[in-house]
Amino acid sequence: MADAAPHDRRRLVIDSATESCSVALFEDGALIAGECLMLGRGHAEKLVPMIAALPDRGRAATILVNSGPGSFTGIRVGLAAARALALAWNATVRSYHSPDLIAAMARAQHGGPVAVDVVMTGGHGEWFVRPFDADGLALAPLASLSPDAALARLSAPLVAGSQAAACADARPGVTAMPLWPDARQAGLLPATALGDGAAPAYGRAPDARLPGGVLPA
Amino acid sequence: MALILGIESSCDETAVAVIDGSAKTLADRIVAQRIASQDEAHRPYGGVVPEIAARAHADVIAPMVAATLADAGLTLDDMDAIAATAGPGLIGGVMVGLVTGKALAMASGKPLIGINHLEGHALSPRLADPTLAYPYCLLLVSGGHCQILEVIGLGQYRRLATTIDDALGEAFDKTAKVLGLGYPGGPAVERLAREGNPRAVPLPRPLVGSGEPHFSFAGLKSAVLRARDSGQYAPADLAASFQQAAIDCVIDRTRGALAACAPNMTALVVAGGVAANAALRGALEALAGEAGLPLVAPPVKLCTDNAAMIGWAGAERFATGQSDPLDLPARPRWPLDDSAAPVRGAGVKA
Ligand SMILES: Nc1ncnc2c1ncn2[C@@H]1O[C@H](COP(=O)(O)OP(=O)(O)OP(=O)(O)O)[C@@H](O)[C@H]1O
Repeated sequence: MADAAPHDRRRLVIDSATESCSVALFEDGALIAGECLMLGRGHAEKLVPMIAALPDRGRAATILVNSGPGSFTGIRVGLAAARALALAWNATVRSYHSPDLIAAMARAQHGGPVAVDVVMTGGHGEWFVRPFDADGLALAPLASLSPDAALARLSAPLVAGSQAAACADARPGVTAMPLWPDARQAGLLPATALGDGAAPAYGRAPDARLPGGVLPA
Repeated sequence: MALILGIESSCDETAVAVIDGSAKTLADRIVAQRIASQDEAHRPYGGVVPEIAARAHADVIAPMVAATLADAGLTLDDMDAIAATAGPGLIGGVMVGLVTGKALAMASGKPLIGINHLEGHALSPRLADPTLAYPYCLLLVSGGHCQILEVIGLGQYRRLATTIDDALGEAFDKTAKVLGLGYPGGPAVERLAREGNPRAVPLPRPLVGSGEPHFSFAGLKSAVLRARDSGQYAPADLAASFQQAAIDCVIDRTRGALAACAPNMTALVVAGGVAANAALRGALEALAGEAGLPLVAPPVKLCTDNAAMIGWAGAERFATGQSDPLDLPARPRWPLDDSAAPVRGAGVKA
């Protein structure tokens, strides 16, 4: 029997949900190429060329994508790319959430098990918050909160994410790890953090009001 | 064969089509097409909500590409190019379609062609009528746009007129709201107008007879509101009188534009959602006859937003060897005639 094509052993990771934009190609679990840029905006222009620059244009049997939360547009850019590539390559799509990768990156940077509160930029001045225990288990569902409400929830010795520095400023004694999701670190994700398919995790309802200023039910 | 996959997501319709650019009839040119309307999602809000639109596009677009290819009995590898709307429109939705197109193009090694949605409308009459040759005079009337253009050739447009306030479709939609007819309002206004007297309500014809070439409908809309509030008129008479006044404006402006066109126009062409209006078509037919030109109006389903017109514009560009880089930006505003002077007025996308 002939050897399997290399892409059968490859996994492409796409992460454009937040201010960072990153791609990575793994073969048999080992990182073989990747790139991570702090973009802010412009993911729709940068992402596909970044994938095209990977070996064999990033072709893989599995595509792992960050499905949010983060910026509404960034989430959609990643999902649209992942689903289109899956269609073209007949690949499988799986997904993870921003806080899971940030927490995993924080544990790795810390060098061992540690409880982590992930706090990252949300919309309309709110922050996304999610606490994890030392083994990486999420302790509560994702919440979108005002900064004050978010600060009141902090309980771990370590805060990671794009609002980590702001948290540490307000809560002396807490260690800040300003981190953004990086596709090249996706190998750190626990198996429990991976989901089948790619349903968007926007984290907040669309900004829309019914006539008369009423919020939709 | 030149097979083009077309993708459209600039407003509230997600659409995908497979176009055969080398076929000679409309039926053969559209190999397959699907349209998913978001009307239901937006109806409670009385208009399109950009974030709701973008989410809906993202939910359906990839499965629609797969289903449309399956309808055509073809695969991505059979395509010669991928054409996706790159603007103008609601940027969140445009990005979904454009990134989908980029990823499909990159993964399959096919060229990407970014299409101006307005060019899709402008060339849709050529998709429908294979005998229609350049140059022609185009009246483009939709919910977001109201322009008269000289279509000189592919990618060559001279703007003769645009609106200084509302687009024609917007005026129909706002009138429908005033009359309590719901959204989208154009077809409802036309239906009600059939039962009314177009002379019953005295309404203004903004700019008619003036030397200025542009359109204006804001004053007409306000007059309809005042007439309704007076309590003197039946809704059907209001609808009929509004429609007549709007058509009178369009005919006057188009007559002027035809006079300003080069003398070699092959036809007067109407495209965009409002081209579905039968009363407007009738009036344009008479005007074209006056000018000694045929009136070309694509079938109604090609007038509203669709991906066949995007695939067709892609086919015309593909035939001339054009393609775009994978970092092509999405453009919320993208006038067909970049050199046309901006006109006063808000809410005009191009
Ligand atoms: N029979 C009709 N009479 C008048 N107006 C109509 C009729 N049918 C549709 N319309 C109007 O056409 C518009 C929809 O057209 P279309 O789908 O081309 O435009 P859009 O998506 O609103 O804008 P654009 O194409 O400029 O982005 C709406 O304003 C609608 O009310």
